[in-house]
Amino acid sequence: MKFGIFYELSVPRPWGPESERTVYLNALEQVRLADELGFDQVWCVEHHFLEEYSHSSAPELFLTACAMQTQRIRIGHGIVVCVPQFNHPVRIAERTAVLDILSGGRLEVGTGRSATWTELAGFQADPDETKKTWDEIVRCLPKMWTQERFSHQGRAFSMPSRAILPKPYQKPHPPLWVAVTSPGTELDAADRGLGSLGLTFGGIAEQETKIAEYRRRIRVCDPVGDFVNEQVNTVNFLYCHEDAATGIKTGQRLAGTFNYLAAQLLAAREAYPTRSYPSLGLLPQLRQEAAGPGDGARVPEGLCIGDPQRVIEVVKRWESVGVDRINFLLNAMETVPQEQVLESLRLFASEVMPAFATEAAAPAAAG
Amino acid sequence: MPLSGTLDIRTLAGDAPRLASLHPDPWELEDAQVLQLMYEIDDAHILGLLPPALHPTIPPVVTFTVARFTESPVGPFTLAQARLGCRAGVRPRGFLLRAYCDAAAARDALASGWGYDCRDGEISLHRYHDSITTTVHADGADVLRASLVDPEPISGGDIQYTANMNLARVDEGGGEQALLVQVDPEYRFHHAERGRPRIDVFAREAWAARGVEPVYPVAATFARCDTGLPRIRYVCDPNKPALVGTREV
Repeated sequence: MKFGIFYELSVPRPWGPESERTVYLNALEQVRLADELGFDQVWCVEHHFLEEYSHSSAPELFLTACAMQTQRIRIGHGIVVCVPQFNHPVRIAERTAVLDILSGGRLEVGTGRSATWTELAGFQADPDETKKTWDEIVRCLPKMWTQERFSHQGRAFSMPSRAILPKPYQKPHPPLWVAVTSPGTELDAADRGLGSLGLTFGGIAEQETKIAEYRRRIRVCDPVGDFVNEQVNTVNFLYCHEDAATGIKTGQRLAGTFNYLAAQLLAAREAYPTRSYPSLGLLPQLRQEAAGPGDGARVPEGLCIGDPQRVIEVVKRWESVGVDRINFLLNAMETVPQEQVLESLRLFASEVMPAFATEAAAPAAAG
Repeated sequence: MPLSGTLDIRTLAGDAPRLASLHPDPWELEDAQVLQLMYEIDDAHILGLLPPALHPTIPPVVTFTVARFTESPVGPFTLAQARLGCRAGVRPRGFLLRAYCDAAAARDALASGWGYDCRDGEISLHRYHDSITTTVHADGADVLRASLVDPEPISGGDIQYTANMNLARVDEGGGEQALLVQVDPEYRFHHAERGRPRIDVFAREAWAARGVEPVYPVAATFARCDTGLPRIRYVCDPNKPALVGTREV
């Protein structure tokens, strides 16, 4: 089991001159501490126009800062929206290669396609097309990284032969992942030899079924890259405190705040009926998981909140169903004071991490 | 936290429908035809159009829904609604601005049973192969002319209709209270189509929608389905956040 942290970079109103800078600087301080404490990875999402929920529209820049201020922690660029109206595929290949170079080969690349009308319409992307264009782009990225020259005639984009530069520092290329929210995407991940970057919180039993199917299918995959990245990564909330009740109460406030914000967005499927989005993605899960900030009626299954012993038990349950990595959301809307976030990280590292083996889970060779 | 509505309920409550009770007999409405159009709207006025209980969606949207019912306990009728997309806590909802109905008995029953602010109107709904069109005519003028353009078949399971939040008055606790009534029908789809929405006439004042400026088309759907008007399950204090102001009936 490996542990990481991940960022949406939510910024509460009212927005003053320092609001966003404070969130970014707090996050960087957390990343530096996580690196020192032995966390394995830091991920940062790409979102656009998602007021308060996520002000992380240029994650490659934030992650570059993370890379330059840390020594060991791996850099998770994910998910990168693989929709050409958001990011030209060549620019994805170029930016990720630079980030891999600057981080000394610590990059992981998560791919996805956006699940909100808010974002898709903002870039005038057709929701019917995003699954198709993601599939095309994710097959092209490894070629762009590894071939001396690359040309392409496709649905999402076309281009004559060009040298796409620079090349990633990792050889043959960084590990590739795909965000798994919609039902069946775990099978897309498996069939293409991609890591499964789970983005739903809680729901251990449901995840167990998906993970088992992922493991079964990836054995016979046709990898899009030069190797199979058979790993299951999931996300969770983390608030660890010596006093269980305090940990749970604060953790619930954190989870409730995040979920409440997520619910305000306009999901693609809610606005635009299409088979391309067979579910509301992350949002209905979040609606079920928490009624809102301060809702203390119950502790949703599978959340890593409470004292170290409870968190260990929850992580062991995730481990038992086949999860390789857990990435933790540490804060939302700065609802937890920064010093408490840092203390939670320290306590997790000193009391929870030793209970788990943390050997490197290297990607398996193709083939 | 998310933005909330700032509408002064007192400006609307006096004209809001008065509920006979919170326990209307449910209606089953089979073989309904439902045309719905969604547009993003200018966000300049959205907060002033929603009660404090509700959050606007990001981005704000308006939906126009025209439903024709061939049978009901009070006979056939057609209902046209304009609603603002919103959230009651974390739940997707549509706040009713105003509705029009082409049958007096249905109009009165919808108002007293479920809090629909209904006015009299003539409503047409025509399905052609190249478009599905509707016109709402009231007080001598068209107040809505809209259409779904280029319909193509989709699965009914892909359509998501949101529940209504209707502002109404009810006698409770020895006095009259303003409430948001949640109306959350279920749908069994027989046929569904999707196309581009187009609005040719939208008389804002006639829909109590001053400041609602459709600026970007989202989608239009047409469905044949079985639905109904259910029992009222939840009501909400319009002046409190829905998380704390919602109660079960």
